[in-house]
Amino acid sequence: MKRSVVKAACMLIFLAALIFSNLPGGMASQIREIRISDSKGDWGFPNPYRHYPRGPGYIRMSWVFDTLIWKDQKGYIPALAESWSFDADRLAFTFDLNPKAIWHDGKLLRAEDVVFTLNYFKRHPYRWISIDHVSGSEARGPHRVIIYLERPYSPFLSDIGGTMPILPKHIWGSVEDPETYNDPKAFIGSGPYLFRDFNKTKGTYLYEAFTNYYQGRPKVDRLIYLRSGKPLISLSSGQVDLANIHPEMAEQLKAKGMVIIKDERGWNKKLMINHKKFPFNEKSFLQALAYAVNRKEIIEKSQRGFATPASFGLLSIDHDMYNPVTPSYPYDPAKARKLIESLGYQSGSDGRFIKDGKPLKVELLTSNITVAGESVADRDGEVIKKQLEAVGIQVDLVNMEQATTDSRVKRWEFDLAISGHGGISGDPRILNEMIASQYGVGSVNSARYDANLELNRLLEAQMLEMDQEKRKAIVFKIQEVYAEDLPSISLYYPDSMAAYNPGKGIVWFFTKGGISKGIPISQNKMSLIR
Amino acid sequence: MRRSRIIKPLPAFVLAGLIMVYASYRLPRLLPGDFVSAMYASSPVTLTADQEAQIKAYYTRGEGFSRYFLNLFTLNWGYSYAFLTPISALILEALPWSLLLMGGAHVISMILGFIVGVEAAWRRGGYIERSGVGCMTVLEGIPEIGTGVILLLVFALYLGWFPASGAETAYAMFSPLGRAWDVAQHLALPLATLVLAYFPGNFLLTRGSMVMVLREQFVETARAKGLPPARVRYAHAARNALLPMVTRFGLRIAFMITGALVVETIYAYPGLGTLLFNAISMRDVPLIQGIVLISSLMVLFVNLVLEYVYGWIDPRVGHVP
Repeated sequence: MKRSVVKAACMLIFLAALIFSNLPGGMASQIREIRISDSKGDWGFPNPYRHYPRGPGYIRMSWVFDTLIWKDQKGYIPALAESWSFDADRLAFTFDLNPKAIWHDGKLLRAEDVVFTLNYFKRHPYRWISIDHVSGSEARGPHRVIIYLERPYSPFLSDIGGTMPILPKHIWGSVEDPETYNDPKAFIGSGPYLFRDFNKTKGTYLYEAFTNYYQGRPKVDRLIYLRSGKPLISLSSGQVDLANIHPEMAEQLKAKGMVIIKDERGWNKKLMINHKKFPFNEKSFLQALAYAVNRKEIIEKSQRGFATPASFGLLSIDHDMYNPVTPSYPYDPAKARKLIESLGYQSGSDGRFIKDGKPLKVELLTSNITVAGESVADRDGEVIKKQLEAVGIQVDLVNMEQATTDSRVKRWEFDLAISGHGGISGDPRILNEMIASQYGVGSVNSARYDANLELNRLLEAQMLEMDQEKRKAIVFKIQEVYAEDLPSISLYYPDSMAAYNPGKGIVWFFTKGGISKGIPISQNKMSLIR
Repeated sequence: MRRSRIIKPLPAFVLAGLIMVYASYRLPRLLPGDFVSAMYASSPVTLTADQEAQIKAYYTRGEGFSRYFLNLFTLNWGYSYAFLTPISALILEALPWSLLLMGGAHVISMILGFIVGVEAAWRRGGYIERSGVGCMTVLEGIPEIGTGVILLLVFALYLGWFPASGAETAYAMFSPLGRAWDVAQHLALPLATLVLAYFPGNFLLTRGSMVMVLREQFVETARAKGLPPARVRYAHAARNALLPMVTRFGLRIAFMITGALVVETIYAYPGLGTLLFNAISMRDVPLIQGIVLISSLMVLFVNLVLEYVYGWIDPRVGHVP
């Protein structure tokens, strides 16, 4: 009897030790940390050459490496550069650096680091930016740098000022193959956080506050990223403090005390069209497609109402340069049928179009699409198929894995494909990338449409126009022509939301125009600094 | 064990191994698309044609089956395109978690399935046995995704007893015991999901073969000799009913590496399944070929071991010409 009592007591003590050792100790409890999750987790190592070329990869790098300027809710703000100016006559941007800026290894950040970075990226391109327009740069003293342009380049502030991470010359100066440079020094930057660990299989990242950060000590000591495909549960259980959420979760999370934030409309779902072959090379057929698609029905059925119909001019309706009077195609099946008939098609006895004995039949490709780092299943294909069939177009709906669909779209082995991309509330350079093959040949989201010479000229002109008002006028015109030609059809902007735990004392926000080139993610480093 | 019995199966296994080495090289290259397109085509970075060609050339340098084959002998499995990290390091990082989850689930479900199956067959015809078979048949039909989501909702969301995702609390400062407890807590739900998925099959298989064995004369003889019922069940009958279970275990090893993908995805649990899934999505060919090769070689190895184990469990197997 005695022995069993002793045994039971030992068991209890052991269990208690197990349970209580689960609680962080005294030291650990004083550490303030933020945990952020997404469903993929792994986005590469956080340095310019090793992060994945996706928004979440750039964000993870941005904690470690600072840029000359940055963005917040309102627009551009100082970062490494306290002030900047543009001299139109000399085509030169002058940046005055913050003299307090230092590298994570304690060395001073100087103007020559910026000059070095530009030269280094010329030799070893950082593909997020284009420095083809930069003719040279010079350091005027330790904290002033002047960057000269070969020709005007309107996205300069977005591309180079706000996206280009500055590299330490004393480290990268001797690195010949940056892609395989795997030394801990490869993660020495000037950003608010020190990179400590990346676990590739778990998809977790650990950052620690850089206490000597020139904009002040970050608000939390540790920043942790982890993988979790269930934001509702992870947020509710306190496992994470910030995550992207589906709009349907908003009310439930709000009831649990979470703060819900909604992004501007910076991401659009669109219908890609193979405009290189008949009948898709006919403007009237493309317009017929636009009339045949009932975007409100798609939003109601596949998005459960959490979306807004998109502008046919591609740029977001929240963009400062959005043109509200671009051609529009409200749902009108009768008009769609008329336009198709104008191409010589006749309606058969079953209501389907026929020409030369052949039915009008198209293949519609769908797949999962990555939105702000989350893989989202497509539900629009089925609705669009029904809508097109209602006007007499036969549709084969083919659902494939994303890389396979992308590969077919890239090789022009498709008729129609459902796709989507962000960046449409950022710099209007996105128009060039998503329209012209010269800029967007590598993107499956780009229409790669070069048939309209006027459009080509306008796209080129907006890249060279440094005056914002004049650029706006050109961008207005681009939207008009694009919406008239419809080389691809923007469908809607899905509601993009995130939820965070206000108990941690951090206010998260979505960035105006998206972080960097338009990344629609709410993890702006300014939330942890100011 | 006779020497000839040890050597006899080896040539066939070596040949199968060589075929698998070639298949692991060739199959990933038949996938449509490539790494550069998968990484960049939908990204905010739009490549020019020159840039695209340059990156493709960078990643495909040093390709070729002969090089791949020779490198295997020096344990050089190549570098992952996405991580620029040795494949062996990535696999070794993920493998322990796969073994913990899948190995644990297999062992638990096999032991449970075997014991409960033997007991059910012994009590054949009774109310408990009949309702047990009914329940297990229903449970066998429920996919892991269904069980996983239900367990997640009940035990993670509503009751909050277990964490919803991950293998441990990332970067928590626990004592070693605390960490073990944390890992156990994270393991509970995915492990339960897999055990619930595998246990019914093991139960039904054991029960079925045990029912057949119990009709054999040697069982009657054992009973007539007055041996204790437990000895009759396990030492005489169950040993002969064990062979199909061992075969099943061998076949299941194939799933041990990559078969937990659904569960790994539901619970964001690290493992080779997730690693392979991500590698396929990104067309990270060296990583795909590495995981395919190691999983197929493991299946081969386990099956080779089972060849010998059969002979040990049932010596009659050794006498088959």
